[in-house]
Amino acid sequence: MKHLEASVVLKSLGLACGALLTIASAGCATVRPEQRAILADPTMQFDDQAADRAALEHALDNREGSTGGGSVRGGGCGCN
Amino acid sequence: MGLGVVCGAAPAQAQVASADLSSALFVEPSRHSGLTVVNPKAVLSVTPNKWLSVQGAYEADIVSGASEALKGGKLSNVDIVTSATHFSDTRHALTGGFSIKRAATRLSGSYTYGTEHDYRSNAFAISAGTDFLQKNTQIDLSYGRGFDKVCTTAFSASDAASGRLALDNSQGCFTDDKKRASRDISLNNFQVGWTQTWTPVFATQLVLSAALQNGFLGNPYRSVVIASAGDQALENHPENRARGAVGVRGKYYVRSLRTAFSAGARLYRDTWDIFGQTYEVDAERYMLPWLRVLLRARYYTQTKALFWSDDYTGGEPQSGPRGQYWSGDRELSPLSSYLIGGRVQATREGRKGERILGLFLSFSGTVSFDLLKTNLRDFTLGGSAPDDTLALLWSLGLRGEF
Repeated sequence: MKHLEASVVLKSLGLACGALLTIASAGCATVRPEQRAILADPTMQFDDQAADRAALEHALDNREGSTGGGSVRGGGCGCN
Repeated sequence: MGLGVVCGAAPAQAQVASADLSSALFVEPSRHSGLTVVNPKAVLSVTPNKWLSVQGAYEADIVSGASEALKGGKLSNVDIVTSATHFSDTRHALTGGFSIKRAATRLSGSYTYGTEHDYRSNAFAISAGTDFLQKNTQIDLSYGRGFDKVCTTAFSASDAASGRLALDNSQGCFTDDKKRASRDISLNNFQVGWTQTWTPVFATQLVLSAALQNGFLGNPYRSVVIASAGDQALENHPENRARGAVGVRGKYYVRSLRTAFSAGARLYRDTWDIFGQTYEVDAERYMLPWLRVLLRARYYTQTKALFWSDDYTGGEPQSGPRGQYWSGDRELSPLSSYLIGGRVQATREGRKGERILGLFLSFSGTVSFDLLKTNLRDFTLGGSAPDDTLALLWSLGLRGEF
């Protein structure tokens, strides 16, 4: 497989992130607490089952030359 | 149907403690080498009040198998595969930590001490996060600092790299044995995460990671054939490595299928010139109100390190990166991999004011299986393609809150 040029990919990703940040900072995306039933579910959490994921990433870190960029907590119940 | 169970059925009383017991089994079968790793882990978390949680954990890596202690390529004309040597070791790691949670902010810290026959590690980590814009936006920052030590043979920094020897066993490590030395490894890890909810069924996460490593970054047991006459020397890697990664993931819940879909991409770059790309997807749904099933797939590809070569006896310029450094590490070679797997989780929530088996507020069990196939594009062992490129990973987890 031919690899994409790193600089082109990174530049595109930077533009996409910039666009997302602009939209978010404009405050146009608001989900009210009472609309969070689905977002609060474990299946919508980015770090759900962190132990299971940690075991997998531990194995991958030892079999690949790259690391980082994984999930952090998030998704948010917003229940309190 | 199971959606909202966690929030809706949260116990009225404050959670007092939780215990997680898990174990993973990693197997890489091979005719001559092969690897088996058993990774048991226990985590106890105590929450004395609403805002404070204290954790303690124990983890072990029980490693056994055989590996090739010498790396040469197609031109080396040495029998490497059948000379794989058996080994076994156990890494023990103890972690203590705390988490403080207020209305919209959180802070956590931890310390981990790890030890094995030939490696010692001390790691501190701290992270902080906050929610704003009605909890639609979350920002998390984390920093980790590691002070590790690795055992090597007793060469001095002024010795020519081509004259250094590899370890043949870990006897005498971290003692006053004159034939052993301890080398420092300094680790700095930074991470920023931005999680954003966009609609009641769609959320994204952007994670930026950076790592700085300094010290002895090779494998103290591995030698590399560096001359056509068969001369070999301890693997010689640069002493500094800066690594960066950016990951983007999205989660979308499809109501008609009652399934949460996730897709993500990660790009990685480091100063050893490795460029990695990861793409992954998964889907998870409730088969029953208490039973969740997840399926996942992942593709990974990377370029080689600037100084990596399958064979260093082919006339590389001595002043070039492949003349100055040499590596037998397959993880620095050009490769790609495919992963498919899945996970099943069963959860039982106790009714309000009632405990399961008279003890647990909730109880869950998790079983997962993943299969990883690696395609080593250029890496050989004396011209032979390694046959340990299929890995199987099982994990089992039990969690109780009481």
